[in-house]
Amino acid sequence: MGSLKFNKSHEWISLDGDLATIGISDYAQSQLGDIVFIELPKVGDELIKASQLGTIESTKAASELYVPISGRVLEINNDLVNSPQWINEDPLGKGWMVKLKISDTSQIDSLMDESVYQEFVASQSN
Amino acid sequence: MELKKTALYQKHLNLRAKIVDFHGWALPLEYKSMLEEAKAVRQSCGIFDASHMGEIIISGDKACEFLQSMVTNDISSLGSNQMQYNLFLDDSGHIIDDCMVYHKGDSFLCVVNASNIDKVLTWLNKQNCQGVSIKDASQDFCLITIQGPESAKVIDKIFPGLSKDLTYMTFKGLDFKGQEVLISRSGYTAEDGFEIYLRPQSASELWDTILEIGSEFNLTACGLGARDILRIEAGYPLYGYEIDDKMDPLTAGLSWAVKFNKEFMGKSALLKLKEAKIKNKRVGFLMLKRAVARYGYKIYYQDKPIGSVTSGTFSPNKQAFIGMASILKEAAVLDREIEIEIRNNKYKAKIVKFPFINPKVKTKKILKEVSNGESKV
Repeated sequence: MGSLKFNKSHEWISLDGDLATIGISDYAQSQLGDIVFIELPKVGDELIKASQLGTIESTKAASELYVPISGRVLEINNDLVNSPQWINEDPLGKGWMVKLKISDTSQIDSLMDESVYQEFVASQSN
Repeated sequence: MELKKTALYQKHLNLRAKIVDFHGWALPLEYKSMLEEAKAVRQSCGIFDASHMGEIIISGDKACEFLQSMVTNDISSLGSNQMQYNLFLDDSGHIIDDCMVYHKGDSFLCVVNASNIDKVLTWLNKQNCQGVSIKDASQDFCLITIQGPESAKVIDKIFPGLSKDLTYMTFKGLDFKGQEVLISRSGYTAEDGFEIYLRPQSASELWDTILEIGSEFNLTACGLGARDILRIEAGYPLYGYEIDDKMDPLTAGLSWAVKFNKEFMGKSALLKLKEAKIKNKRVGFLMLKRAVARYGYKIYYQDKPIGSVTSGTFSPNKQAFIGMASILKEAAVLDREIEIEIRNNKYKAKIVKFPFINPKVKTKKILKEVSNGESKV
């Protein structure tokens, strides 16, 4: 796994050249609680940064997921649809959601490094 | 506005509960996982802080007569130390609140929803022309409940022998460390269980005692989330969802708690509704694909709207997405496939029998069988 970047809506991306793997952060899963449903885009979809990536539902409520970086969907984690609890159990690993081919790598600069993200989370929960 | 805290608030924080605002009360939504908590209650046992519930005490010479005229069920059939599910209706036959009535001999304890305490009090006081005493005792009580198949073992360790002589829907006054407590064999889960009413100053000590003893029986602290899942599995209504001030008890599937052979507030309006034919019915449904159907979602049959969801959840005990709905009576056919609209997509569901679990409450008959060695359990 390459270096992790985060955005303010709590998605993470892991970079490998112009390939990005996307999921949600440990903080996000702990805030959501038991996750029971996930809806993901389709392979081939062109996603625009900040548009809707999908829907995630916990026992508490439904929330929207947002695209952290623009790109084309190469692969989705199909197993996650039937085992959404993996997002709780292993948000940075088995709980990955989508793999993208990044269309504009310069967008990476607008994302947070892990340490900056942790500070952001701390400021959110105070 | 600052949230009201129960006497157990600090206990919840110590257990790292997620606290939410529930009708003005700061209460635990879940400790670790509401799914695990709801499973624990059906497999072993769970403890709940339900101190937000309202307690109204009705006393005086005419207390029985007055209350009988205000509720739909027949409290004249209730002996001392028995309890009964009841409904308060307004004069149009719609539900002001549902409540548990405890017959304490010289008075009645009505346990009402936290969100409705003021509304019920105002309503009762308005109708009170018989000089009955109506007292809001909500501040004087905490309510701790233990629910689940192992709960009798836990309660017997604190109150020896209690589970043998307390049958479902009866209660007793007992002593806990010099303080009077009221314990009923009842609950909101359809499991065996006990509800303990006590003074706030004793609540922490009882909570700790139960948790300590319960550790031997896999007792789990449970929040509001588990409470909601469990009552949906049990097919129990919740005010604001299955019932409200636009819903009558016949449409809500609660006619078993309405006795037309007595007089009660709202009866004539309810009879008129009955004559005009009840249009809707409360049903259970099972989603045929993964999806949570939530309150208010529209339901269709052959593209025609037939009603809406009242409650829906993922059931960890059935490992299925389930719920309750109010739909047109003629559409309420068992096993029929319906569609529920979720975020502009239609998801297939099926009308199923509910409750979704078999009730395990300890009625007189069951306890007798157990003591005679007839039970196979």
